[in-house]
Amino acid sequence: MTAFRILFLITFSVALLLAPIGQSNYIIYILCSWLIFSISAMGLNLTLGYAGQISLAQAAFMGIGAYVTALLTMAGVHWLVAVFCSISATFLIGLALGYPALRVQHHFLAFVTLAFNALVFLVLRNEEWLTGGSLGLVGIPRPVFGPFDTMKQLPFYYFTVVCFLVTAGAMAWMLRSPWGRAFKALRENPIRANSLGLNTTRMTLLAFAIGSSMAGLAGALQAPLVQFIEPGSFTLILSLKILLMVIVGGSGYFFGPILGAALVVLLPEMLRFTDGYYLIIYALLVLVVMIFSPQGLLGLGRKLLIAMKPRKERGDLKQGAQL
Amino acid sequence: MKRRVFAGVSLSVMMMAMSAHAETVKIANIAELSGPGAAAGSVWSDGVDLAIDEINAQGGILGMQVDMSKYDTQTDPQVSRALVQKAIDEGAFALLGTVYSSSTVVNMLVAQQNGIPQFTASEAPSITQKGNPYIFRTNWGAQKGMPKIATYLKDQLGVSKVAVAWANTEFGKGGHDSFVENVKAAGLDVVADVPSEQGQADFSADVLKIKNSGAEAVFIYLTQEEAARFLMEAVKQGLDIPRIGDSVLTSEKVIDLAGPAANGAKSHAALTIAADDPLVQEFAAKFSKRFGYSPDYNGMKGYIGAYTIKYGTEMVGEVNSQKLADVVHGLCLDANTYPGVLIDMCWDDVGEVSRQSYMVEVKDGRETVSEVLPAN
Repeated sequence: MTAFRILFLITFSVALLLAPIGQSNYIIYILCSWLIFSISAMGLNLTLGYAGQISLAQAAFMGIGAYVTALLTMAGVHWLVAVFCSISATFLIGLALGYPALRVQHHFLAFVTLAFNALVFLVLRNEEWLTGGSLGLVGIPRPVFGPFDTMKQLPFYYFTVVCFLVTAGAMAWMLRSPWGRAFKALRENPIRANSLGLNTTRMTLLAFAIGSSMAGLAGALQAPLVQFIEPGSFTLILSLKILLMVIVGGSGYFFGPILGAALVVLLPEMLRFTDGYYLIIYALLVLVVMIFSPQGLLGLGRKLLIAMKPRKERGDLKQGAQL
Repeated sequence: MKRRVFAGVSLSVMMMAMSAHAETVKIANIAELSGPGAAAGSVWSDGVDLAIDEINAQGGILGMQVDMSKYDTQTDPQVSRALVQKAIDEGAFALLGTVYSSSTVVNMLVAQQNGIPQFTASEAPSITQKGNPYIFRTNWGAQKGMPKIATYLKDQLGVSKVAVAWANTEFGKGGHDSFVENVKAAGLDVVADVPSEQGQADFSADVLKIKNSGAEAVFIYLTQEEAARFLMEAVKQGLDIPRIGDSVLTSEKVIDLAGPAANGAKSHAALTIAADDPLVQEFAAKFSKRFGYSPDYNGMKGYIGAYTIKYGTEMVGEVNSQKLADVVHGLCLDANTYPGVLIDMCWDDVGEVSRQSYMVEVKDGRETVSEVLPAN
C-alpha cells in the first residue's frame, strides 16, 4: 500500500466523521442513504466487477434483508441479532438462487435474476399475514446500544458509518485474500482460471452469495433509517439504480460503487435548485459519462492519469534512436 | 470602481433578501411532480400555486407574504420522507402534500416528530387511523365514502352481485377492504375481486373475469391512468353493467384519457367541478384560465389545503405550528365566510374531513351531478 493510498484512506475516514457536523437533518439523512446504498453497490460490484456476472436481484435481496430485520426488531429482538439473521438469510437464498441460476451467464443470468426480483416483490405484497401487503410495515424501531441511542439522525449516521467501515474493511480484506484473487481470475479469463485448478462454479456462486448478503445488510440498515418499508420500494427500478451506481462509478474498482452511489443519491439532490430540469440534467450527465467512459468515473480518472503522466523514457534508447 | 459598484449592488440585494425574509411565512408543498404519480401531483400542485398567489395578492397571511417552496418526490416514498425533513429544516411551519398514500404514510411520521401540521391529498383510510395529531386531510378518506356507495348500489341500482377492480397499492388496498366490508354488511355478494398492478397496461383479463362472473355492477377503484384503460377495455369487450367508482373514475384526467369510453361511468365524488356552486365554478374558471386545462378534485384539494393554512393561522393570530394543528382539530369552515374552502367542511379530532358529496355521471364527456348527498 502506497503512502498516498494510506493518506487517502485516512482523509476519507475523517471526512466521513466530519461530514454531518453542522448539517441539517435532511443532509444527514441523505448521507446515511448514500452509505447504505454504497454497501449494497459494493456487494453488486463483487458479483459484477469481480466475478463478471450481471445480477438484477440486488433490490430483492435488500428487500429480504429489510423485511427480516423489520419483522424481528418489531417483535422486540435486538438489531444485532436481526442483522445477523438478515445477512444469513440473504446469503443462503443467494446460494439457493445462484446454484441453478449460475448455469446460465451474463444477460441470461440478468433475466433469471430479474424474474427473481419480480417474484420477491409479489411474495412481499401478497403474503399479507407476514409482510403487511401493500400497506407495508410502519414504525420500525431504531437500534439502541446501551447508552447510545440511534433514534436521532446524527447518532444514526455514526452507527451507519461504523457498519459501512466494517463492511468496506471486510471487503478489502477479502479482495486481497486468495478468494479475491480467484474472483479476479474468474473475470479476466474463466477458462484459464479453470485450467489452473480453480473451481469456477463454486467461486462464482460464492461471489454471488456474498454480494447478496451485503445487500441484506444494506436492507437491515435501511429499514430502521426510513422506519417504513413496503414492497414497492424493492422493485426492479431499485435493482437498476444499484446497477447504475456500480457502472457509473466504475465496476471492478474498490471505490467505484461508493463514488457511483454518491453520484446517484447525492447528485439529483444537489441539482434540485434547477427546479423542473434537475432530472433531465442528471440523466444527461449520466449519458455523457457512459459515452465517454464506459469504465465509469474511476476508469475515466485512470485514463486521464495515464494521459497526464510524463512517460518515462529510457535515456539509452533515446540516444540509440539518434545514432 | 467596478468592484465597488458590484459590492454595493450585492450588499443591497442581500439586504433586500433579508428584509423580504423577515416578513414572510414559509410553507412547503411536497408533491409527485415526476414519476407515476405526476398526473395527480401536478394538478394538486397547480391548485396550491393558484391559492398561494391569490393569498399573496390579498396581502398574505397575517399581513406577511407567503414564501412557498415546492419539492418533487419522484413518487418515491423514501424521497418524500427525506424532502419533508428538508422542508422542515428549511423552516416551513406547515406542509402541503403528498398525494399518494404510500408516500404520505411514511413522510407524515417525520412531520409528526417535528410537530409540523401537514395537509395531505391522500385518501387511504389508514392515514387518520394512526393517531398522528399533525395530519389533516383535504378530502375525506375512502372509508367514509364507501357506506354511501354500498347504499347506492343496493337501493338505487338494486343489484345483489357486484365485482370490484382495484389497484394493489396502499391507496387501492385501503379502499378495497373498506368497500368489501361495507357491501357485505349491506347484504351484497362480491362475485369477482380483481386486483391490478400500478402502471398495468392490459386490462383484458380483468374485464373478462368480471364479465364472466355474472356481476350486475362493477366498482372501479384504480388510479387515473389505469381507470381510463379499464374503461376503454370494458367498452371493447361490451361489459354492459353500471360502472361505479369514487372521485377518480369521473375525474377530468380519466375523461380526457378514456374519451367516449368514460361516458356512463358514475362516481361518488366529494369534490367535483361539476358541482352547481358559484365558488366551485369560479375556482374552475380561474384555474382553467391560468393553466389551460380543467382542474379535477386534486386541484381542488391543493387549493383548499393552502387556504386552510391561511384561515387556521389567522384564527390563531400568530405563525405557530402547534397552535395551527390544535385549532384545525374540530374546526368547521363555512364557505360563505371562508370562500377558499369552496364547500363547507369540518375536521374531526384525528384530521378526518366531513363535507357533502355528489353522485356524478359522465355524459357526453362531461361530469354532471345527478344527486347531492349530505355530509356524514
